[in-house]
Amino acid sequence: MKLNSPQALDEYRNSLPPIGGGAPVRIRVCAGTGCLASGSQGVYDAFVAEAERHGLKIGVDFAAGTTGCHGFCENGPIVQIDPANIFYQHVTPDDVPEIFEKTIVGGEAVQRLLYRDAVTKQRCQSEEEIPFYAHQQRIVLQRTGHIDPTDINDYIREDGYAGLAKALTMKPKEVVDEVIASGLRGRGGGGFPTGVKWESARIVEAEHKYVVANGDEGDPGAFMNRSLMEGDPHSVIEGMIIGGWAVGAGSGQIYVREEYPLAVSNLRRAIEEARRLGLLGTDILGSGHDFDIEITRGGGAFVCGESTALMASIEGMPGVPRVKYIRSTEKGLWDAPAVLNNVETWSDIPRIILDGADWYAGIGTENNSGTKVFSLVGKIKNSGLVEVPLGTPLRRIIFDIGGGVMNNREFKAVQSGGPSGGCLPESKLDTPVDFDHLKEAGAMMGSGGLIVMDDHTCMVNVASYFIDFLVGECCGKCTPCREGLHAMQILLRGLTSGTAKPGDVALLKEIAEHVRDTSLCGLGQTSANPVLSTMEFFMEEYEEHEREGFCRAGVCSGLYAVAINPETCTGCGMCARVCPADAITGEKKQVHVVDQETCITCGSCVDACRFNAILIQRRKTDD
Amino acid sequence: MTEMIEITIDGKTVTVEKGTKILAAAKELGIEIPTLCYHEALPPDGNCRLCQVEVEERGKRKLAVACMYPVRGPMEVFTDTDRVMDARRSVIRLHLNRCPQATILQDLAREYGVEPLDERFVAEHDDLCIRCGRCVRACAALGNNCLSFAGRGWDRTIVPPFDEPPVGCLGCGACAEVCPTGAIKVREEGNIREIWGRKFRLVRCSSCGEYFATEEQLEKADTYGAEVSEICPRCRKRDEAKRIRNG
Repeated sequence: MKLNSPQALDEYRNSLPPIGGGAPVRIRVCAGTGCLASGSQGVYDAFVAEAERHGLKIGVDFAAGTTGCHGFCENGPIVQIDPANIFYQHVTPDDVPEIFEKTIVGGEAVQRLLYRDAVTKQRCQSEEEIPFYAHQQRIVLQRTGHIDPTDINDYIREDGYAGLAKALTMKPKEVVDEVIASGLRGRGGGGFPTGVKWESARIVEAEHKYVVANGDEGDPGAFMNRSLMEGDPHSVIEGMIIGGWAVGAGSGQIYVREEYPLAVSNLRRAIEEARRLGLLGTDILGSGHDFDIEITRGGGAFVCGESTALMASIEGMPGVPRVKYIRSTEKGLWDAPAVLNNVETWSDIPRIILDGADWYAGIGTENNSGTKVFSLVGKIKNSGLVEVPLGTPLRRIIFDIGGGVMNNREFKAVQSGGPSGGCLPESKLDTPVDFDHLKEAGAMMGSGGLIVMDDHTCMVNVASYFIDFLVGECCGKCTPCREGLHAMQILLRGLTSGTAKPGDVALLKEIAEHVRDTSLCGLGQTSANPVLSTMEFFMEEYEEHEREGFCRAGVCSGLYAVAINPETCTGCGMCARVCPADAITGEKKQVHVVDQETCITCGSCVDACRFNAILIQRRKTDD
Repeated sequence: MTEMIEITIDGKTVTVEKGTKILAAAKELGIEIPTLCYHEALPPDGNCRLCQVEVEERGKRKLAVACMYPVRGPMEVFTDTDRVMDARRSVIRLHLNRCPQATILQDLAREYGVEPLDERFVAEHDDLCIRCGRCVRACAALGNNCLSFAGRGWDRTIVPPFDEPPVGCLGCGACAEVCPTGAIKVREEGNIREIWGRKFRLVRCSSCGEYFATEEQLEKADTYGAEVSEICPRCRKRDEAKRIRNG
């Protein structure tokens, strides 16, 4: 069936049965990659088996469906039950009979599976009561976790493709103006005004134009784009069709990295379903707009997230950036004008058109409108996907939503923006998270990765980790990035192994600044950021590593000595148990002692001690 | 009609066609900008990053590579500021880590007063390849497209397919000719030229008797439908000149 007009789409929407087919109970099992990894498929199967045992019919007596990521991955597998609005966490197949008995048949919640607030010690029955969700504002993720991403009807029921229907009644220029007025800026990290980019492509006259979605999320610890493509693929597709109408492009490309198989299969299915209903193809909703989408799978190179490298990769060439003095909106994919936006940016579009630029511009702060999805990871209690209005202070994200630092250790830094971003210390925690303030503070928004670090984190080691990552991901085309990162790696390895020479820190800084100033592409220019931003706030750690061979965080092996604080040691014996060198001894409930001769400074005891009783000290040197 | 634009380079003005690269505009003024990966017969690639200049355009001042930056409107270019010199020195120093023996780099280092980094940064003392890809572009333009980059990052190298003696190589030597550091070795002995692990038979000019091309080169020229004669370019030029003079 092809929907050949906006009215036909409305009629189709109204003809759909309510979600879950009208069954009195609906079970939503999270099938995002995180929950799948912790066993949610088994949970889903257990629900189906249990239903059979009870003689209940799926689709009649109850509905069971899998959804995209609910975002609270730390606590998966997650199961939500409607209409009672119950949120269960850490569900295993063994819990399913009890859920059936108590909740589905009996109508009450299984207390032990509910989230327990760490502060109030109260159990939270619904998603909305959990602080992790309560402080969020979900626009991009509004449907993720609620709908079945493999069913276009679920999307259409929730106003899906209504934005497209509206856009097609507007002139392309009006659509572009609406996006400009909304203040939407590129969610991939650059923060370039989306509408302005569209306009520069719209005014170019060309036989072919393209819109491209960047789904090559490659930052360590980032998974917001993946969850979006997996959990709400139609929103990306709808945004792209609107973009195609606005700039005059007839063809779209979604570039997804190879490591996201579920995103690829959900997107592929979504494209097929959209074609089936005539939402992709020729004369979409009777507007005369022809548009279709292809998926290109990337080989997993980090550099392919860079726009020119991404386009080279789509063209079948090695993913190597080109000098970008001519914009992609003039000469991009196959030398034709191309508008490249991050998948999250595309996903923002339908709501902007449907609810209007004013509505969108009213969210967030000046020049930074709307919301942004972050993946909050690292030493944080509540890891997961977080969507907040721009301008939300880092502190609220980390402490109110994220629940603070794991094991109640001290907060040390948060890394924002992936390898190209920066590390911000405690003193910057009140920074409003938006494009401009983060940059001003010394980091960047990036695509939205937030990695929280505790006091047992060595900033030199962190820089070394990211530089190692970038050395592996550098394409090797230009000299500063290829040779400079390698030189930086040598210097950082010297610092973290205690073999640095006097002057190495200064040299590292000098090379890093040159790599930033002279590299060819955006990734090269930002590849020195892990070093430069940690130097800005944690220079004394670099100096201690160079001058004294001392690592105050107790991370760099051989660069510190451990001792046990007799005041706080409870004699629990945990440190002795984890010590691989048997260097810790002590009677139960007595203060333990570390033998410096046998200690290999692996740091296991520091991680294991729950009483912060392991002290990091300077090594005693003989000379 | 092409649009002409007046720009300033180091305080001197020059009028060039829109789209002209800064490097070419500077050349018109006799201002020299050092290059490594650039070759005037090949498409520019902007990868060596040596030809840094500062560009001031629409109130913004930034570093840019002269070989690729096009003149699109009024702009002011600076080729000898501290920032430019610093950037070039850094590029030269990084190249020297890779190829400490390359004469062209040693000369640049002397000219710019660059002190090489210490031994820790030198991986291989006899590596001469700066990964500029001039050979790759030359083979694509003149030869048989037998060279390509392989690997990535620090391990990026330039190799024939499968790193084996290239089957399609014509032995024309264009790659070696354009290499700025002499990293590609060509040996000629009698009528044999050896390059990329392959041997090619050279053909004598039927006029002057000098070896001037490989058999494979002449065969390839034949496929272009060109008039192939076994006369070297020098003799052909001489004959042509004679023909013109004699009417």
